[in-house]
Amino acid sequence: MANTPGAIPEQTTRTVVTKAPLLKRLRGQRQLMFMSLPIVAYILVFSYYPIWGWVMAFQNYSPAKSFTQQEWVGLKHFKFLLTDDAFLNVLRNTIAMSVINMVLGFATAIIFAILLNEIKHKLYKRTIQTISYLPHFLSWIIVTGIVASSLSVDGGIVNVVLMKLNIIQEPIMWLSVPEYFWGIVGASHVWKEVGWNAIIYLAAITSIDPSLYEAAEIDGANRYKKMLYVTLPGIKSIVIILLIMNMGWILEAGFEVQYLLGNGVVVDWSQTIDIFVLKYGLQIGNYSLATAAGIFKTVVSITLIFAANSISKRLGEDRLI
Amino acid sequence: MGGLKKKKLWGSVSLVLALSLALAGCSGDNEKTTTKDGKEVLNITAFIGTPNQAPAKDNRIYKKIQDELGVNLEMEFLVGDLQQKLGVMIAGGDFPDLITADTKLVSAGAVIPLEDLIEEHAPNLKKHFGKDWNRMKDSSDGHIYWLPNYGVYTGEFISNYYSGPAFWIQKSILKDAGYPTPKTLDDFTKLIRDYAAKNPTIDGQPTIGFTTLASDWRTFPLLNPPEHLTGHPNDGGVVVDDSGVATVFADKDISKRYYKELNNLYNEGLLDKEAFVQNYDQYLAKISSGRVLSMFDQHWNFQAGEDPLVAQGKIGQTYVGFPLVYDTSITDHYLDRPVINLNNGFGISKDAEDPVALIKFLDKLMDEKYQKLLSWGEEGVDYQVNEEGRFYRTPEQRTEQDDPAWRLVNKAEGFYAAAPKLEGTFEDGNAIGAINQPEEFYDNLKPEDKELLDAYGFKTWSDFFSPAPENPVYYPAWQVDLKEGSDAAVANKQMTDTSLKFLPKAIMSKPDEFDNIWTEYVDAYKKIDVKSYEDRINDQLKWRIENWSVK
Repeated sequence: MANTPGAIPEQTTRTVVTKAPLLKRLRGQRQLMFMSLPIVAYILVFSYYPIWGWVMAFQNYSPAKSFTQQEWVGLKHFKFLLTDDAFLNVLRNTIAMSVINMVLGFATAIIFAILLNEIKHKLYKRTIQTISYLPHFLSWIIVTGIVASSLSVDGGIVNVVLMKLNIIQEPIMWLSVPEYFWGIVGASHVWKEVGWNAIIYLAAITSIDPSLYEAAEIDGANRYKKMLYVTLPGIKSIVIILLIMNMGWILEAGFEVQYLLGNGVVVDWSQTIDIFVLKYGLQIGNYSLATAAGIFKTVVSITLIFAANSISKRLGEDRLI
Repeated sequence: MGGLKKKKLWGSVSLVLALSLALAGCSGDNEKTTTKDGKEVLNITAFIGTPNQAPAKDNRIYKKIQDELGVNLEMEFLVGDLQQKLGVMIAGGDFPDLITADTKLVSAGAVIPLEDLIEEHAPNLKKHFGKDWNRMKDSSDGHIYWLPNYGVYTGEFISNYYSGPAFWIQKSILKDAGYPTPKTLDDFTKLIRDYAAKNPTIDGQPTIGFTTLASDWRTFPLLNPPEHLTGHPNDGGVVVDDSGVATVFADKDISKRYYKELNNLYNEGLLDKEAFVQNYDQYLAKISSGRVLSMFDQHWNFQAGEDPLVAQGKIGQTYVGFPLVYDTSITDHYLDRPVINLNNGFGISKDAEDPVALIKFLDKLMDEKYQKLLSWGEEGVDYQVNEEGRFYRTPEQRTEQDDPAWRLVNKAEGFYAAAPKLEGTFEDGNAIGAINQPEEFYDNLKPEDKELLDAYGFKTWSDFFSPAPENPVYYPAWQVDLKEGSDAAVANKQMTDTSLKFLPKAIMSKPDEFDNIWTEYVDAYKKIDVKSYEDRINDQLKWRIENWSVK
């Protein structure tokens, strides 16, 4: 193609691409198409096909009957959920604990990564990093066991330390005070995941151009200024992308922690959607109600992820979708 | 170049090898094995809904069953949560031949009706269940889906060992107080108070006066005492009056009185602070530490916590159950006549290829010969017979029976517990099961236990309780199937949740706050559709009275 003056090369290229017939384009990218086939098939089978099961939410589903025999009840189960005091409580707990986990998880991981980056002694730095991410590999059942025994009134380390320091006079029953529950869950999450979450930020930090630090130093920036004006902006795009991705999980406050640490006394603060589904859906064979709660959760998650995405767009940052 | 090619070749060869090995492994299962006399062995798959340990591969009893009856049992035991496992099974539509009972499976159409199969092919089972035939019918469609595992007695009913509900107290407390017989809650708490004051620590750890449990589905230690204290039998969440009408009692005054007493204990520091926070494992661990003086529970539920104490020879820290009541004018009704354990035992799934062979197998096992094998073991190896024809065990044989590892190789416990079985006595007069053979029970007692029973002038643990009166026809109400997903089932869940939320709060409050929290609790209870729960139970009780009465 001749480069005549006045013609803008990029534009020409773009029109060529969009105008090319679909089949030709497909053939041109056949290797890519071929490579993506298994993934698409996987998602269709395991993520889209199960959506069919959502019809259960509008029936009084019974596994013994065939599809045509099911009794249709419309929005009955959604009405039950949205008028039930317990479910509204559950929704509050789910959102609150998710937000706590997310904010705490982000803040602690970023701070931890930045601080760790400042340690210059290699061996020391690696040791700290290894110790901090090891709990990630423990299952929640073990972690909750550790948490429960450290919070025990009966010689639990937390109470012992607080009493020795004369901060409290007698042991506190941490796990039977409803108001403490969110905090305990948040703290357990931080302990388990901080090191693991920090890895990605550490990786991002290493990709920051060292000349930026040198320039900042010449301009008279001290250590804190460098963290604030070089490191932080350097990992901003990673932070935003992770934030958007995590938005999709906002209603996944978890099941195991709350199920394993919770008890009757704190149920108003500990029950999450997943536990509610297990108790009022699966355990008593009310599959339709369980499905309705699941749909509700999905819809809220999708809404949130789109919201986060558009906010990110306004801020002029990278977007996921 | 040559080296690279060689590597590639080896790579593909080993891949093919691995694949063919894997395939061979898969097809191996279908190979037919035969018994000694050349008959084909029938493979039966079974799911057992309790977390047993799998038996050893060369288990003596299962091997004998295979040799003599030509049946190889492939059992899967529960790992994790039963409801979740059943949910997956139902969703996948894939069931083993035999499956232990759950009402969920009936609603899902996973099991087949058994009445015709039994009538045609299983004379022993028919004879065994004959008098309970009507009870076994599902109230919704009149079919029989399950072969109950416990509660059908033949011959004489013997019970030496008590595993039901009671207020349990450590043996050393009784010994210390000169073997008194506490009758009321007040007598009982006085014993605890006195002993705890004298022994602030046990084995170096703080003494716990009374504990309870309210974790997961095991909520009866907290919720059931009021019905027992008022002289009602164990009907679960309701008390049933003389005319057969059931009412919920959790929010009534009979309950308030009990929880107020717990509130007192709590404020005196005698109630376990972590009682409502602990899970089942922590509860058992606490009991096995030997520092829990007392609790309300059913013996089978805390047995596992007591076993280590027995193994360590700390017999004084094991428990005796007492049938407490509010005041002495009330007759206790803890001990009940055995009732058939409905909605338990085995069913045959719709996937079973040959239901007739399955029912015939279960029927053959009901023969006394095999019942002896399953309960006592092999004559001369697991037990002896004296001149009068009475079965007994030698001290060595008793020690073997106490060893869990030995039992995995030499007993078929997992299957036996879930299978329909004879109970009571054999035709020759021997008890079915060593624990029920009176002389064997007494000879097997530890010296401390003999001393204790002698002091009370009793022969067995059941003697502490009033003899069981005749059961009402509908008894027990806790076996009523609430129907999956019904309003009654939802209400039941909500009632339990409310109790678990407010009762601990009330019990752990200051004495003057108790009444306020109780009022809150009763108000919260009023918001629940309790009526749908009571109605379902009453409907079913009425149905039972109509259909189960001997006409």
